Amino acid sequence: MSVTKFAIPEVIFGNSSLRYLAQCALRLGARRIFLVSDPGLEKAGWVQHVIDILSEDRLECVYYNDVDSNPRDWQVHEGARLYTEERADLIIGLGGGSPIDAAKGIATIASNGGRIHDYEGANRIMRPLPPMIFIPTTAGSGSDISQYCIITDVERQLKMSIISRSLVPNVSIIDPSLLLTKTVELILASAIDALAHAVESYVSRLASPFTETQALYAIRLIMENLETAARTRNPAALEKLSIASTAAGMSFSNAGLGIGHALAHSLGGRYDVLHGLVHPVLLPHVMRYNLPVCREKMDNIAAVVLQSCDPAGTGRALEGIEQLEHMFRSLQVTTRLRDILPDDSQLEQICKMAVPDECALTNPREATWTDLMGICKEAW
Amino acid sequence: MKGKTTIEDLVGIEHSKLNFFQELQQSIEELKESNKELEEQRRETAAILDGITDVMMVLSEDLRIISVNHVFMQLFPDSDPHGQYCYKYFRHSHTPCRECPAFRSLSTDTVCRETAIFRINGRNMQFEMVASPLKSPYLPEHRVLIFKRDVTLEKEYQAKFYQAEKMATMGVLAAGVAHEINNPLTAVTGFAEGIRRRLPKLRGLVDDQLFTDFQEYTDTILKECLRCQDIVQTLLTFSRPSSAEFSQLSLNSVVSETVWLLHNHFKKHHNIKVNLNLDETVPHIFGDEAQLKQVVLNLLTNALDSMSETGNKDRCYFSGVLAVETAPFGESGAKLIVSDTGCGIPPDNIDKLFEPFFTTKNVGKGIGIGLSTCYSIVRKHGGEITVTSTEGKGSQFTVTLPGNRGEQRV
Repeated sequence: MSVTKFAIPEVIFGNSSLRYLAQCALRLGARRIFLVSDPGLEKAGWVQHVIDILSEDRLECVYYNDVDSNPRDWQVHEGARLYTEERADLIIGLGGGSPIDAAKGIATIASNGGRIHDYEGANRIMRPLPPMIFIPTTAGSGSDISQYCIITDVERQLKMSIISRSLVPNVSIIDPSLLLTKTVELILASAIDALAHAVESYVSRLASPFTETQALYAIRLIMENLETAARTRNPAALEKLSIASTAAGMSFSNAGLGIGHALAHSLGGRYDVLHGLVHPVLLPHVMRYNLPVCREKMDNIAAVVLQSCDPAGTGRALEGIEQLEHMFRSLQVTTRLRDILPDDSQLEQICKMAVPDECALTNPREATWTDLMGICKEAW
Repeated sequence: MKGKTTIEDLVGIEHSKLNFFQELQQSIEELKESNKELEEQRRETAAILDGITDVMMVLSEDLRIISVNHVFMQLFPDSDPHGQYCYKYFRHSHTPCRECPAFRSLSTDTVCRETAIFRINGRNMQFEMVASPLKSPYLPEHRVLIFKRDVTLEKEYQAKFYQAEKMATMGVLAAGVAHEINNPLTAVTGFAEGIRRRLPKLRGLVDDQLFTDFQEYTDTILKECLRCQDIVQTLLTFSRPSSAEFSQLSLNSVVSETVWLLHNHFKKHHNIKVNLNLDETVPHIFGDEAQLKQVVLNLLTNALDSMSETGNKDRCYFSGVLAVETAPFGESGAKLIVSDTGCGIPPDNIDKLFEPFFTTKNVGKGIGIGLSTCYSIVRKHGGEITVTSTEGKGSQFTVTLPGNRGEQRV
C-alpha cells in the first residue's frame, strides 16, 4: 500500500447541533461574520435562524446570497470584494454544494487575491484562508467535508475544480433537522449524488482502507434509508442520509472520484444542469465501464446493494448495478441523458472537456473521450 | 493552465491546510528580518553621525531642541536638552539670539552660515554655525538642522600668527630705525664732544655766565646722546632675531637694563614705588638676552597694569609697590621674583593665565599673548614660571632659570 492521507474537518453532528455555531465562530476569533447562502434557504427561514444565533452572541453578520445553483466565478469575486470591504473575519457557508463552494471560492480570493481561475487544479492556494464553518443543508454534496471547490468559469463554459487542503473547513456542523424542509426531489438528487461519491471513491485509484469503509458504509445507509426518507421524510431516515453523505464526503475528499463526476462537471459547465440530476443517469453506465478493472470491488458494492433485497453473493456485480437502475426508476428520477439535455450536438465537446478534469485522474480505468462518448451514448 | 494535475497532487501528502498560525510565523520571520536590516541601517547611520565632530542639533521652528549628537553631550554633559530652547543652553537667554541663522534658513529655505562666540563652561568658544532647513512631507512640522563647528583654536592660531607677523615687522622696523638714528646720533655725539674739547679755548673770551651755560648745555647734550645710544642699543637687542645663539649673561643686568627701559614710565607715576633688590651673588646663566628681557618687560608691565585698576577707570591712576628681586637658585641657577600690590588674580583665572589670548584687560589694552609668550620662552630656557596671588592684595611671579649648563636647553 502506498502512502495515503486522510484529512477531514472537525465534524459536529446531530440534531440541533446548529446551536454550537456561535461558540465555534467565537473560538475561531470571529467578530464580524460573512454568511454565504441562497434565496431558497432564506425563504425556508434558515438564514434568519443562523443570523439570530450569531447575534445572540453579539456576532455581526454580513449576508451574501448572490449564488446560483452552479456558483459562477464573478459571484465569487463579488463576494470576496464584499468580504474585504466589510472587513469580515470568518466565513460561514450555509446550504447545499453551491453556497458552500461559493464560500470556499470567496475565502480563497479574499485571502489570496487574484481571480478564482488562478487556483484551478491541485494545491495552488499558497496563503491561509479565513476560518470557515460550513453548515450543509442537503445530504449529498459533501462539500462541507471535502478539499474540493467547483466553480463555473463563465467564459470557458466549464466547471473548474480547485483542490486544496486549505479548502477543508475548520468546522462542519451537520444538523440533520435542516433537511426537514427540503423537497423530495432535492433529497433524492442529493442522496444519489452522495451515492455516486461513495461508489466512485470506493473504486478510485486512491481508495484506502480509511476511505473504503466510509464509502461502503455510505452506500449501505443510502440503500437502506433512501426510499423511506423520500416517501415519509422520516427524521431518523433523514439523519441516516446525513451520516451517509458525510461518510461519502470523507471518502471522496481523500480518495477522489471518477469519470462520472468528470462528465457531470463538464455537463454542468456547458448546460448548467443540476448536478444531482446527472448521477442517476450516468452512474450505472460508468460502473459498467469500470467493472472490468475492479470486479472485486464492484462485487462488494453489489453485495451491499443487494443485501437490502436479497442474500449476499459474489460475482453479482452486474446484478447490483441493475438493482441500482431499478431503484432509480422506482424513485422516478430521470435516468436518460436525453431527458436532461436539449440535444446531443455537443456531446463530443463535453466528453473531450471531461478528459482533463481532475476527477478523471483517479478513475480506476483509463478513459479517452471516445470511451466517454460510449458511456454517454449508452445513457442517452 | 499551470502544469497538469497528477494523482499525487490529489493525495497532497506534503500539502496541509494552511493556518494563520503559519502565516503569523512567516510574517514574524519577515518582520524579524526587516527589523534586523533596519537595525543595521540604523547602526550604520548612527556610526556616520557619530563620526561628525561638530555639534549637531535638530531644532523645531521655535528653536526647541529635538535631537542632538554626542558632541553636544560632551559639551553639556549630564543634561537632557530635549525640548529645551537652544538659546537657553548656549546663551542662558530667554530670547533667541539676534544673529541666529536658523530663522533665516527657515524663511529663505537656504543654508545659512554665521560665526558667533559663546561662553560655555566658563570658556569663550567661537563657533561657525551652519543652519539647513529640514522641510519634508514626512515631517509633521518644519525643522532646522544646525551644525556648530568649534573654531576657537583655529582663531587663536590665526591671531597668534597675525601677532607674530606684526612683531616681526616691528622688529625689522625697530632695527632699521635704530640704525638710521645711530648715524646722526654718532654725528651729534662727535660734534658735541668737539664742542666740549674746544670749550676751554673760550674761557675768558666770553662772559663767565655764558661759558658756564655752554658747558652745561654740552654736557647735557652728551649725556642725552649717551642715553639715546643706550635706547638704540636696547632696541637693537630686542629686534635681534630669536634664533640668536644662547650666551653667557647676567640676570641682574638683564633685569636692570629692562627696568631702566621703563624708567620714564615709572617716573610718570610717583605713587609707584619700585624696589630693586638684585643679589650680586647671582651666577651667570646661559640664555637669550633679548628673549629674557622680553620676559622681564612683560612681567613688569603686567605688574604695573595690575596696580592701575585700583584707581579711577577713565584716568589711569597707579599706586603701590613693585618689587623686583633676584637671587641664586639651586646649585647654579638664578631666580627672579616680580611682585606687586595690585588687584591680584581671581583663583578661577590662575590656571588659564598662561593660555594664549587669555586676557582680562579691556579691548585695546592687551591681546593676551604676553604671558603665554613668557611661558614658552622660559620653558625654552629649561626654566619654570609660577604664580601665587591673593585677590585684591597682589601677585607674585617667580621665574627660575637653570645654571650655566648649555646642554640643559630644550
